[in-house]
Amino acid sequence: MITTLTPSSGATVEPVAPCREVVPAWLWPAAGAGALAAAVAMPWLVNGYFISLAATALVMAVLAMSAQVLVGLAGLPPLGQAAHLTVGAYTAATIATLTSLGPVQLVAAAAAGAVAAALTGLLAVRARGTTFLMVTFGVGELVHAGASRWAPGGSEGVHTPPVVALPGLPAMTRPGWIYLYVLACTLLIGAAVAVLVRTRFALLLRGIAAHEPRVQAAGHHPRRLLLAAYTFAGGIAGAAGALSIAVTRYVSPADAAMAISALALAAALIGSGSMTGACAGAILLVAARDWAGGLLAGHGPTLLGLCFLLLAYLPRHRLAELTIRLLRRRA
Amino acid sequence: MGWDGFVTAYTITALDGVAYGLLLFVIAAGLTLIFGVAGVFSMAHGTLYLAGAYLAWHLADDAWTGLTLALGVAVAVGALGGAGLAAAVRPLADRPLDQVLATLGIAYIAADQFSLVFGAEPRSVDPPRAVAGSVSLGDYQYPVYRLGFIAVGVLLVLGLFWLVERSRTGAVVRAVVADPGMAAATGLRTGTVRTGVLIGGGVLAVTAGVLGAPVIGPAPGVDTTILVYSLIVCVVGGLGSIRGALLAALGVGQALTLGVALAPGAASFVLAVAMLSALTVRQRTALAGRPA
Repeated sequence: MITTLTPSSGATVEPVAPCREVVPAWLWPAAGAGALAAAVAMPWLVNGYFISLAATALVMAVLAMSAQVLVGLAGLPPLGQAAHLTVGAYTAATIATLTSLGPVQLVAAAAAGAVAAALTGLLAVRARGTTFLMVTFGVGELVHAGASRWAPGGSEGVHTPPVVALPGLPAMTRPGWIYLYVLACTLLIGAAVAVLVRTRFALLLRGIAAHEPRVQAAGHHPRRLLLAAYTFAGGIAGAAGALSIAVTRYVSPADAAMAISALALAAALIGSGSMTGACAGAILLVAARDWAGGLLAGHGPTLLGLCFLLLAYLPRHRLAELTIRLLRRRA
Repeated sequence: MGWDGFVTAYTITALDGVAYGLLLFVIAAGLTLIFGVAGVFSMAHGTLYLAGAYLAWHLADDAWTGLTLALGVAVAVGALGGAGLAAAVRPLADRPLDQVLATLGIAYIAADQFSLVFGAEPRSVDPPRAVAGSVSLGDYQYPVYRLGFIAVGVLLVLGLFWLVERSRTGAVVRAVVADPGMAAATGLRTGTVRTGVLIGGGVLAVTAGVLGAPVIGPAPGVDTTILVYSLIVCVVGGLGSIRGALLAALGVGQALTLGVALAPGAASFVLAVAMLSALTVRQRTALAGRPA
């Protein structure tokens, strides 16, 4: 049953697959290598402001991947991923009093994010569709409210010392080095996610998104699978929290705000199912909010709101189909 | 003081909870009907409350005229806002996620404009001078406005119940909540009902903003707070159910006042547990959810 179900669902959801037939085979790896080279060379090319902006964009890209695991694979739109990011960030801040080692903070934050997600997931995976969105939103805001009361530092937040990338290296204070550390961690997390989306587990998640009763009839437990996906996504979000500590050296309950969850979800939707697309969407939205918003006298929220409206009204599924068709015709 | 003093302190807090709960009900009743009838989870619902609260701050003086004027403008603003939201989500029928994005975008833009016009600091709104004082209840002083608010809230609840459960309009609305397809097949204009409910919900939210401004004053971020609390009321009460919304709103009001007084910090925990139990108990009926 599963063997007949999985290839078809895999082929329909993956939007990149048809492009590979038309575009020369060498172009994708070449474009990837070019983008990577540009990303690594960035600290030597642009000023400090853009580098810290880029580091923020990378943190949001990781959070967007976390949202994409849920909405892109399992078809469940989450609006509370910032809560798991905050749990990770506070964990990393607590670990930072013991050790400044970035990787240790990263792993601890990911674990804490996963545990928090496993707990809130018990609530969330009972719902589907818009109700799932409402429940994750509610849970996220409750964590937001709880953080200002319970978390260390209260609503003032906590400042942390600079992170050390590897044992023996000095603490990172220059934005260029922090950016490169965040870039390396993002690539590692991206690799882990790339492995995940190629597993049978991911195919089962796509199966749930396409037709849940059929997956259930095949003897699987959709709710357990979704809880596992939710936990995994929470772990990625927690890791994003550790990276956000590395960038800003500061965590406050404001990190759990709905604005951050909404940005992650919108980035995942811009990516329409693909992880690379989600990262690109996050970079685009951070650029709109922080860079273009800064040019427009701090009206980032208005700009972000316009982005959301644009995203809602543009027929993006039809646009994606059109692009694919055009690419085919040219070949 | 003694034991009696403690009892009275908690009774006073519980009374505050009733006022809070009634305010939440008036806001959440609109949201739950909008979700039940139109299937729209309007992220701009808290924005409408905030618009009303800023209206009260801008227009209210210490006489009755300011409040009356604010209420009149609130009805117009609410109707316009609701109609605008209805027009905004109409092209997005059957795309609930896009409806969320669109209303969220509107909420973002509105919040930015609010802080541009009214500033980033919280504003306090005083009730009219006639009801500004306080009366003594036992050993305690209680604001008159809040008692008046409870009275008006009860009237609004009774009015809403009559409208939804007794009137012909309510019967049409309930029919569309229960089975939109069958309602359309019997000749009801479901599109008009959807627009009407969005307008009604808008009027309720903005009016609640004007009346509630002395209780929950206008400040940036209040829109999200109100949205979350009314969302919890909707989920706990069962989406589309007006009776459930009333019980849930009174419960949430107590959790936010008495709960905070009895066990500081536990309020969010209590609300999360309430949401979990609501989802566990009723997952097969009211909360089946709509396909994304």
